[in-house]
Parts: sequence; structure tokens; C-alpha cells
Amino acid sequence: MNASPPFPADSEVRIVRTTSAFNCGGRCPLRLHVRDNVIIRIEGDDAAEPDQLRTCLRCRAYRKHVHHPDRLLQPQKRVGPRGEGRFEPISWEEALEIAAGELERVKETYGSASILLAVSGGYLGSLHEGARATGRLLSLFGGYTTHYGNVSSEGPIWAATTQLGTPLTGHSRDDLLNARLILLWGYDPARVITGTNTMYELVRAREAGARIVSIDPRYHDSAAVLAHEWLPVHPGTDTAVMAAMAWVMIEEGLCDFEFLDRYTIGFDRFRDYVLGLEDKTAKTPRWAAELSGAPADRITALARAYATIKPAALMDAHGPARSAMGEQFSRMAITLAAMTGNIGRSGGGVGGAFMNLPFGHMYAAPMIPGVRNPVEAGGPSLRGSLDLNLRLQKRIHTNRIFDAILEGTRGGYPADIRLAWFLGNNFLNQLGNTNKAARALKQLEFMIVSELFLTPTARFADLIFPVTSAAERNDLTRGWPSGLYYTAVNRAIEPLGACRSDLEIAMALAAKLGLEEFGTFDEEDWLRTFVEKNPETATPIPDSGAFRRKGIHRLQPAGPHVAFKAQIEDPDRNPFPTPSGKIEIYSERVAAMNDPACPPIPKYLPTPEDRLDPASKSYPLQLVSPHPSNRVHSDMQKIDWLVEADPHRIWINPADARTRGIAEGDAVLAFNDRGRLSIPARVTERIMPGVVCIFEGAWFDPDENGLDRGGNPNVLTPDTYTRGGASIFNTTRVQVQKA
Amino acid sequence: MQIGFYFDQTRCTGCSACRVACKDWHDIPAGPENWMRLIYTEQGRIPEVFVAYTIAPCWHCLDPVCVLACPAGAISKREGDGIVVVDTQACLGNEACDEKCRKACPYDAPQFGPEPGARMRKCNYCLDRFEAGRLPNCVEACPVRALDAGPIEELERKYGNDLQAEGFKYFERTRPAVVIRAKRP
Repeated sequence: MNASPPFPADSEVRIVRTTSAFNCGGRCPLRLHVRDNVIIRIEGDDAAEPDQLRTCLRCRAYRKHVHHPDRLLQPQKRVGPRGEGRFEPISWEEALEIAAGELERVKETYGSASILLAVSGGYLGSLHEGARATGRLLSLFGGYTTHYGNVSSEGPIWAATTQLGTPLTGHSRDDLLNARLILLWGYDPARVITGTNTMYELVRAREAGARIVSIDPRYHDSAAVLAHEWLPVHPGTDTAVMAAMAWVMIEEGLCDFEFLDRYTIGFDRFRDYVLGLEDKTAKTPRWAAELSGAPADRITALARAYATIKPAALMDAHGPARSAMGEQFSRMAITLAAMTGNIGRSGGGVGGAFMNLPFGHMYAAPMIPGVRNPVEAGGPSLRGSLDLNLRLQKRIHTNRIFDAILEGTRGGYPADIRLAWFLGNNFLNQLGNTNKAARALKQLEFMIVSELFLTPTARFADLIFPVTSAAERNDLTRGWPSGLYYTAVNRAIEPLGACRSDLEIAMALAAKLGLEEFGTFDEEDWLRTFVEKNPETATPIPDSGAFRRKGIHRLQPAGPHVAFKAQIEDPDRNPFPTPSGKIEIYSERVAAMNDPACPPIPKYLPTPEDRLDPASKSYPLQLVSPHPSNRVHSDMQKIDWLVEADPHRIWINPADARTRGIAEGDAVLAFNDRGRLSIPARVTERIMPGVVCIFEGAWFDPDENGLDRGGNPNVLTPDTYTRGGASIFNTTRVQVQKA
Repeated sequence: MQIGFYFDQTRCTGCSACRVACKDWHDIPAGPENWMRLIYTEQGRIPEVFVAYTIAPCWHCLDPVCVLACPAGAISKREGDGIVVVDTQACLGNEACDEKCRKACPYDAPQFGPEPGARMRKCNYCLDRFEAGRLPNCVEACPVRALDAGPIEELERKYGNDLQAEGFKYFERTRPAVVIRAKRP
């Protein structure tokens, strides 16, 4: 094309290079076109290919989020009954006065442990990640109770820590081009972004000749584009299919015995389990077929393919691990990868759905320094332990927050919660058992929510602090959860209305409470420290000013990153970071927990509400609630451009629809003992019979009869967790009928 | 010279990034007016299911039947680049002419807003971007690089051409300016 004239031609338009800070799984350079404090258009990264980091549909609609007419622009005080959602705007002075008064009252009356700070990943920037400033504030104030357990990924994290010694199991995405076989196990990267450009890298891997198999109850869009083969498997039975694959490999002598001898411990015990020497049940393909619905011959073929086509990347995702089978699924995947020698080798890998690299990781991001939380003083030492129960002596499991509010210390929880502050989350909507959560929130004495929108959680607040979006802040962001680049958030517009950042709110409240130790560093002071004083970034980023103007600094690695390469190449010098220095198929640390629900080798275990649980027979369908395609969990839910891109519907197979008299587009009810919701039906062969799918994040919207008209699947999911800490969402039984 | 689009159906995940980017660039509200659409195809029975998406912008046909259909002469094909443009001011509105352009077009490219008497608008190949030497916004938005744009001869040379694909039919009477790589069941 011709030489380019200046663009855009409008001299009143500024272009701001920045990123958003959603918990979306990507991190994408954006160019925001701004005129008169309004973002009027959005362009993406303009780096030359192949380095261009392309944003998805969500941030293509980012300006509709920032400038949404429903944004809360003023502090809000509840009027009317809790949960009804009626508020009146108040001044910051009044809001801070009320918050300080309630914090002081609750601390004096009940003690600091009665204050709950509930935080999550609704905003993922170094500085304004709300837990830091607010946690510092509350620690200085005397302490607070908080929660433990990453709702998304605790099972895979626990499993990788158990068997490999670290959750950093990822290969960089360019290494996919070296794979000859790729297994997408419960993984839909076209929809759940897991590293910007991941779907593109998979497309390229396919075009370079990799064979791709999708194992999933759904024929999702990733499978439709990538997979040569779809193996439908009932939710929760993936682990049985994997055990049967191990049986085939053992029976047919297809294991990489040299690898097992050299790099692992405990394979003999696992082999005994698989062959049935331990429990008299051989884990044959026929056994797994009965459980999973996958034909035995296809399980056998998959085992042979995985054992012989090398290298093979096992991209086991977090969805199947957000189940009662949680960590067993992820442990079984690691075991299979070890049996085929696919660990530490280019083109191989396990746990590959999420790109946990040892550089540019969010968890290593510089943040406001923490202050020791006095409420947690005297807790047990956690060093080296895998026992979740130790962590839960002082904290509440995240998926039990609402049960803890209801039951308190008499229910075995560490505190009786009277005041809760929800920040960077919509937990009422996003944790299990929404109706119970609503009951719990009605019981609180006081509730603060920091939010941009009147979410289902915020509707229950007594006080809402309106916070700024990333477009109104300066900050630092990173690849999600890691990546070969660092990014900057640059303030594109001045804060809308009276919105403030979480840091500003914490500072103002610290002043109100007389906590001078909080400090006076403002946004710029912190950010300068974060870039220039941080050893991780100070060397690669010599000019922090240029970095922030450009909004990105890319690392230039010599080649693809391969996890555990050093351990495989020179195991004597580089042991795995486990107690034995090897891949622990059998874990002594887990054995010491002495819990049949969490055996020292990975196993398929029967669980409540699994496919065969007789107690759930009045609810014959299994429910899965994967990530939505057109919002970030429950963020961006109200953006009409995104809503029309993929209307909220329940997926149901024609066989299940027919017996219920349900046709495409019909309103249906989905229900179980925990709740009821209504939603339109999508009748499709893309989901296996016996399973239905409702995408998570839809906003809870109960009518006067308690029927959720928003179609939030969490009115149906349990609020429980596994022994490894996985929140259980995808082990849920329901019934569906025509409305 | 005739400009056109390239679409790699084997790569398209149906994600709608192109659609949303189009709405953003041209500031089109949610609703019936969609300059870029997605056509969905699903066939077969579990586990042998075939799914394909097809983009549907304006294909800037070599023989644009919409131009002939418009009673007000509001639609024209540009000399030099072949972009089919509409003079929205000259359009009579959909009530006056009963959407003759939309009915003539086999690809549903002419679009109308929800208001009574809405005037026709449609994909203009991001004319402002084109004149500044830029690619259409949908092309730059595609996360899997399934789209390209440029002189049609160049695209054909680069990508070859399947004239038929699921959800797309090549009409000789309009000759759409598109190069497709089709996905096969």
C-alpha cells in the first residue's frame, strides 16, 4: 500500500498506549484513541509480525466497559433492605467516615479477626491490585481474616507442587511448533485466553503438521478448528481415562522405562494400582469406558498415540481440575507425561494449558510491601507442607467464605465474621452455591464493596466505593500469568466522576484512622520504585521512561523455554525441587497426610455427585460451567456488543432435549437442591448426551420466587473443595425441563 | 485495480473479534446493523461433528447488483479500487424503497439500523483507513490471522482460491471480490 499520511487525521485525538488489567488470561497492548476524556476507538498492538500480540473481542469493546452508563461514579450508601440494591449517592467524606466508624466499632466489639477482607483477581496490576494497599491498611489497623485457595487453579497448582516441586511447568508457546502430538484435555483456548496469541500458536502448530486430539464433553470452537479427533468424555471421568491409558502403556510395554528409572520415584506403586494389584480392579480401557462413555478402543488408540508420537504436549487445563477429582486429574496427567518421557523435552510438556513460565510472572510482580497481619500471628509453619488444613487454621478456603460467614467458629472456622470488605471480585456470583451466599451476606453487620458496577455482590453492600478502571490509572502489568514481556498501564483519561483508585481509597482511610505508618507514596512514587528498583526489571529495562511510553518491553530469548530442561539434561546437578529431587509419582508428603481422599499416588476416586452417584439420581444430567467467550468471568457482562456476539444459553444434546420436549431457543429451567435458574436452550450435537453446559459469569438475578433469571450456573454448583484445595464446580448434577 | 478480502475458513474460530472491531471503528450500536456478520454451520452427529464459520462483510463485488437495485442511485463502485460505497444522504431510507439493495444482494451486505426509515450503511472496507494506507480494522483484529486484504489479484496469487465454502456461495452474477480457503468436512 501507499506511504501513509498521518493517522488519525483528527489533531484532537491522542493515542495512548496501554493495557487493560482484567483477569482474562491475556495481556495485550492497546492503542486507545482519546478525545475530550473519552475513548472513541481502539486499536491493538502494532508490532511487526510474528511478535504482534493481538487482543481478543473483549478489549475490542474495552471503551464500552470504561464508559458504560452503569458505571458507579459516586460513593453509594444502602437505603432499604440489604440485597435489594437500592442506594443513594454520598460524598467521599461521608463514605470514609462511615467506613472508619464501622471498622473501629467491629474491631472494638468483636476483635480484628471479625473483619474479613475478600479479594480476588478482578484487577491485575502491580500497584492497584487491591489486596496490597487494603491489606496493608487493615494489617496496620490491627489485622483481618482472609481466605486461601485460588478458585481457578488450586488443583493443578497443588498437583504440580506435589509431583514436580513447582507450579512453573510451562513451555513458551513457540515450543508448540516442535510438538508432533497435542492433547487438548478440557482445554478451549479459542475462548479461554491463556496467554495472548495462544490459539494462533496452536493453529500454526497444526499447520506445521502436529496431530491434535480434543478430550472434552464439548466440541468447542478450539476443537472445531484444531482437532483431528474429538473424544467426548463425561465430566469427572478424565482421570479414569488417563488411568486406562497408563494400563495400555504398561500392558503393551510402551512406557519410557529409562525416563521413569532416572527421573521419577513411585512408579511401581502406581503400576500396582493401575494393574489392579492393589484394589483388584484393573484400570483397563473397558473399565474406563464404563465410567467415561469413551469407547474402549478409542482410549487404547489414544494411549498408543500418546506413547509413540513424540514429542507430545499434554495441555491439560484447569476446568477438569475444578471438580471433585481436582488434583487427581492434574496428578494423573503429570504421571502420564513422565511415563512417556515428555517432561523437560522440547515439544513435550504437561500442565501446558496455562503458560506458567519462570519469567515475567504475575506472582513475582513488584507490589506494595506487605505488613505482617497480626490476626495470622502464631499460625503453623507452612514450609514444605502440602497439607491444606494447616493453611486453613488461620484462613478460610475461598469457596467456603459464605459458609464461614454463616457458621463462624462453631462451624470450625477461624473467626466469626461481622464486617466484610469485597474488593476486585464478585464472589457472590463466582463462588459455589449463590443462594447460600445471598443468605450469608444478609447476616453480616456491615459490608463494603469496592466496584465499578452494581454487581450481584455489590447489591448487598452497605457502602460502595466507586473505583477507577485501568484506563484511569497508571500501573504495571504482565503477561498472564507470565510471558516474554512487561507491559504498562498508562492513564488514558482522567478518573470519571468521583472514582478513585484502590490505593487512593486506602490512603484516605489510613489518614482517617490515623495510621501514619501507611506512608505517603503516591502512584508515581511506587511505580518508579517498581521498575527501577526491581532487580527483575531494572536490568532488561534500562530506560523506564521509554518503556512506559511504549507500554511494552519485550524480552528476546534465545529460543523456546522448555520447563525442567536442566533437570533432564543434568539431573545430578539439577534435581527437581521435590524432597526426593525426582518427579514424585508417589509422594511421601501426601502419604503423611493420611487421608484416603488424597492418596499418595494419583487415583480415580468415586465422589458425591459424580456420574454414577446413586444419591444424585433425581438429577440425571452433569453440569459444566466453563469460561465464557464474551466476558471475563463476570466482568464486561453488560457490554451489548459482547452480549450479542454470543447470547447466554445452556448447551444440551438433541437426545436429552427430545425426551424433555425442548427445542432450540426454548426457555428451560435447570435446577437441583441448591437452586433454580432459567435460560434459553441451545440444542446441539456439540455436547455429549447426559451433560449440559452453562458458561460462568452470568449475573445472578433472582425473581421473587428465588428463580435466577440471570442464568448463573453457580446457583447450582457446590461451595466445597478437595483435599488439595480445588474448588468444586464441575462436579454438579442437575435436572433440566422446559419452562 | 480491485481490492478484496481473503478469508481462511480453516482458521476461523468464530470469536467475533472482527465483528466487534468493526462496530468499534465505525461506532455502530449493538443491534440489527452489522457491517460484519458471521455465518454459522453445524452438521453431523456426535462425535463426527462439522462446524464452520464464515465472515460476511461487503464483498465489494465486481458486478454489484445493489448499485443497479437502488432507486436513488445512492450506491456506487469507485473507480480505481472497486470499493462499493453508499451515499447515505442520498439513500431514501428502508421504508421508502423497501430495502431494494438488501433484497438484491445475495450476501446481505446492505444494513439498516433499527429506527424507522433507517438509511443504508455497510462495510466500506474502512475507507478512512484504506486511504491512509491501513488495512481494514477487521483484518488487524483477527487473533488467528484468518483475514487479509489487498488487491484481489495479489491475494489470489498468495493464497489460491476456493470459490465455494460452507456458508458461502460464489455468485457469477455479482462476482464477489474474495479469496477463500475453505474448510472441508
